[in-house]
Amino acid sequence: MTALPPIGSPTADLDPLSEQYEAGRQRLGIEPGLDSIDLVEIGDSTMELNMGPMHPSTHGVLRLVLNLDGEVVRECRPDIGYLHTGFEKDFERHTYQQCIPYTDRMDYLSPLFNNLGFSLAVERLLGIEVPLRGQYLRVIMCELCRLASHLLWYGTSALDLGATTAFVYAWRDREKLLDINELVSGVRMHTSFIRVGGLLADVPDPFYEMVGAVIKTFPKLIDEHELLITKNPIWRQRTVGLGTLTPEDAMAYGATGPVLRGSGVPYDLRKAQPYSSYDHFDFDVPIGRTGDVYDRYLVRMQEMRESLKIITQAFENLPDGPVNTTDRRVALPPRNELNTSMESLIHHFKLVTEGMRVPAGQVYQAVESPRGELGFYLVSDGTNRPYRCKVRAPSFSNLSALPHMVRGELIADVVAVIGSIDIVLGDVDR
Amino acid sequence: MTAVGSPMSGARAADLLERELPTAVRRRESGFGEVTVWVDRADLVAVCTLLRDHPDAAYTTPVFVTAVDWPDREPAEPRFDVVYMLRSLQYNDVCRLIVQVTEDDPNLPTLEEVFAGMDWHERECFDLLGITFTGHHALQRILLPTDWDGHPLRKDYASFGEPIAFTHNLEWALPAQERPRDMPGGSR
Repeated sequence: MTALPPIGSPTADLDPLSEQYEAGRQRLGIEPGLDSIDLVEIGDSTMELNMGPMHPSTHGVLRLVLNLDGEVVRECRPDIGYLHTGFEKDFERHTYQQCIPYTDRMDYLSPLFNNLGFSLAVERLLGIEVPLRGQYLRVIMCELCRLASHLLWYGTSALDLGATTAFVYAWRDREKLLDINELVSGVRMHTSFIRVGGLLADVPDPFYEMVGAVIKTFPKLIDEHELLITKNPIWRQRTVGLGTLTPEDAMAYGATGPVLRGSGVPYDLRKAQPYSSYDHFDFDVPIGRTGDVYDRYLVRMQEMRESLKIITQAFENLPDGPVNTTDRRVALPPRNELNTSMESLIHHFKLVTEGMRVPAGQVYQAVESPRGELGFYLVSDGTNRPYRCKVRAPSFSNLSALPHMVRGELIADVVAVIGSIDIVLGDVDR
Repeated sequence: MTAVGSPMSGARAADLLERELPTAVRRRESGFGEVTVWVDRADLVAVCTLLRDHPDAAYTTPVFVTAVDWPDREPAEPRFDVVYMLRSLQYNDVCRLIVQVTEDDPNLPTLEEVFAGMDWHERECFDLLGITFTGHHALQRILLPTDWDGHPLRKDYASFGEPIAFTHNLEWALPAQERPRDMPGGSR
């Protein structure tokens, strides 16, 4: 058995290990110099390092090609598309209602926002307004989803920096929110709960008890999360001053959501361009000061509290009444009508088999997802399928600012910066 | 139902363009609470720079760029609508610009220099729709593998149905060199 050649300088007079190595070689009777290697001149001292796509800290399948000078990142080139599924093409050959389950699977950590954005776009083309109870339930479910998404972000980005406990605690609490998803839709993640014209169905009775428990317990639980991390010296050393993004750069890169607000720009679509009665609720938009990783962390933690405020108000003022529109272009006729009316039966059949027809036109509807501005640009040609549906994914634009954020940082900090952008690769690649 | 902006989103940009660059505005249309402005390819960079820098506009944030393919309307109108959306955080507005390009020359100047964030969006538009952007520093595919054939979001790109060869559809299902020489019923 022969030993491996020494790494680095062939003169090998730098450390005692190579002396031991030489001694070992002599003992084994291997002639010196046979396997000595010449260093290849590569021009400069930089090195290309491939990070991902299968890397636990890239939150999915993201590949980064890093150009390193020692441990300092000189250049970062993200390579995306590993999860590209062609949803936009799929939309074009499915009816509007059939598109809803596809939207679930884009940003799989905030499926309700995708449902909502798509539904609102279609409803605007149709000129439909959802009843108030439906709007309030949409808001409650979306904000619960934002809590779940932020908890997952909190757990995984803390885990990236070695805080395992936070991860376990976040999972414990997210479970309660997924239970509510399961209760209302039967599914824990890809709920398809929000539909064009309203909701899948009104919520069952245990919903009130479960949401009540969330409102009661979560402020304390968020305190617990903050206690673990917010003033933790290790966490602060790893995040303060890192990956700074100025407000001007954030805007130029099209960054939205907590990344933009972390840089100190108070822009939240729920406030700026309210949809689904968000203007009925009183809440604040937390912003950061310097735009570093720590600020983005603080913004998200505060946003969870604001979400709870919205949930509480919507829950306490939840009106009675129907949750779905009665507009017959979208809604199925009531069951009892089918027994007596031939036209209703035909209409029911046509609506189920062919789907709704949407007037020709184009709209852009954006909602504030946990990651930022999630927009649906919908072009209809008057048939029962979207002619074109462009999804403006928040993670896509936010991630495009990553090379700018990590330039000049240490390689170990790249992980912290990725965590702070809160990307979902299903959202980036679609 | 609240529209994207209030009262008519994009009206601020359209009014400004009609005032400052009247020759650039080819058409203006509104619907569903949104204003769309059609501009010429030659004016695109000037229009976007104006919208970004003018104190009454401040459309500093790129939302996206994409294209809509209307293959049947050539030659009366160009085939592609290239859609730009810009957002003004200061005035809380979002505006839409459309530039039309033809199938033979689907080419636009890049807006990379105007908005850093347009870089990836232009690459995506090139990747999925085959619109090219002159002056882009690295116009490569971004979502699909580099050796992919075609641009999937074009309407003539079949996304479904595995081509299975029957006697009546060999021309469609098989590439020319794989078709049998004495193709039965070839003319059908």
